[in-house]
Amino acid sequence: MHEWSVADGIVRTVSTWARENNFSEITMVKVGIPSFTFLEVDILKEAFNEIKKGTPLNNSTLEVEFLSASFKCRNCGNSFSEDQVREQLDSIRSEFGEEYPLHLMPALSPSFLSCLRCGSHDLVVEVQDIMVKEVEVKGHGTIKTVS
Amino acid sequence: MEPLRQLAEDKLKGRKVIAVMSAKGGVGKSVISSLLALSIGKGTLLIDMDVHTMATAKLFGFNSMHNVGKGGLEPFSVGGIGLISLSGVVKDNYVLLPGNNVGKVMESLVAYVNMEGFKTVVFDLPPGLGEELLTLERLTGNRFTSLIVTTPSKVSIKVVEYLVRYLKERRVNGFLVVNMSYFNCGKIVRPFGGIDEAKSLSERYGIPLFEMPIDPSIEEFVGKVQDYRGDLKKSLEKIATSL
Repeated sequence: MHEWSVADGIVRTVSTWARENNFSEITMVKVGIPSFTFLEVDILKEAFNEIKKGTPLNNSTLEVEFLSASFKCRNCGNSFSEDQVREQLDSIRSEFGEEYPLHLMPALSPSFLSCLRCGSHDLVVEVQDIMVKEVEVKGHGTIKTVS
Repeated sequence: MEPLRQLAEDKLKGRKVIAVMSAKGGVGKSVISSLLALSIGKGTLLIDMDVHTMATAKLFGFNSMHNVGKGGLEPFSVGGIGLISLSGVVKDNYVLLPGNNVGKVMESLVAYVNMEGFKTVVFDLPPGLGEELLTLERLTGNRFTSLIVTTPSKVSIKVVEYLVRYLKERRVNGFLVVNMSYFNCGKIVRPFGGIDEAKSLSERYGIPLFEMPIDPSIEEFVGKVQDYRGDLKKSLEKIATSL
């Protein structure tokens, strides 16, 4: 259900940006989502299609790109990938079920994951936010957005 | 573009925002913010921004999870107000985060709350001048009222002056709340010292000062602070009418 809030945020953000830049019609929005959130694309698209009505995104489609996170430990310098902490992620999902906290707040990941070498939570996470990456504007083509 | 930040900013627009804060820890911010929110009453949402301790949920006795619907995270309903705490997302797990992530978690917490029906949002901030204060500024454009909490202790007042000075520079309206200021046992006694230093701070920066009584019985209400009706609550009801 939390996908509805994410869709709301996407529509509001792109609508505000379109108004500020005097763009009247958006035809495509591409978002990057951390794959460890396990967001449900079908629900996200259903919510997006409902919320976009009456906004400059009315005729737009939503494209979703799932991105794997990478981690660097600030304590010992070790770098590792999302696949390498799959066991830890599965354990969190098993503990929480549908209320999996990283689904709701991916920025909580350093609190739940730990460095594979030293066990520290002092982790820098690359790709940990939901971001609008590209917007296609009618008559202007594709515009890459800056985070 | 950051969808969560936009969502969080939009949710706070048009709502009265009050932030209970201090540069010093252990001065009673969570008790003050809880009783203040209860004093303002219906239509008030209390958001616990101390994401590392999550003390507010403990004061109210909540250890369950927030429900998530189409409108977002549903606040706990208690004592006529709404309450949001990260503890309703992480259960009894500890929260330990690098600084940058603290701001992002705060943004998510605000962005995902279903605020329908709430006119006033009271934030319980952690101690210090840090990411939480900067995030609050980003999300509100500095449109909030601050309740700066201290005790009569000279060291507390000296530390709190950093925050008072900063908020003055940022043109944020504020009140100075001197917690544990006096004990009323038929006559007024001040076991933690006088409040001359606090009065001086209030006068130098032109911010109104409120004194809060010491009421040891508040400890009996940990886990059910919504049932407390003592002198501290009565004092906060007076502040609530002047906000």
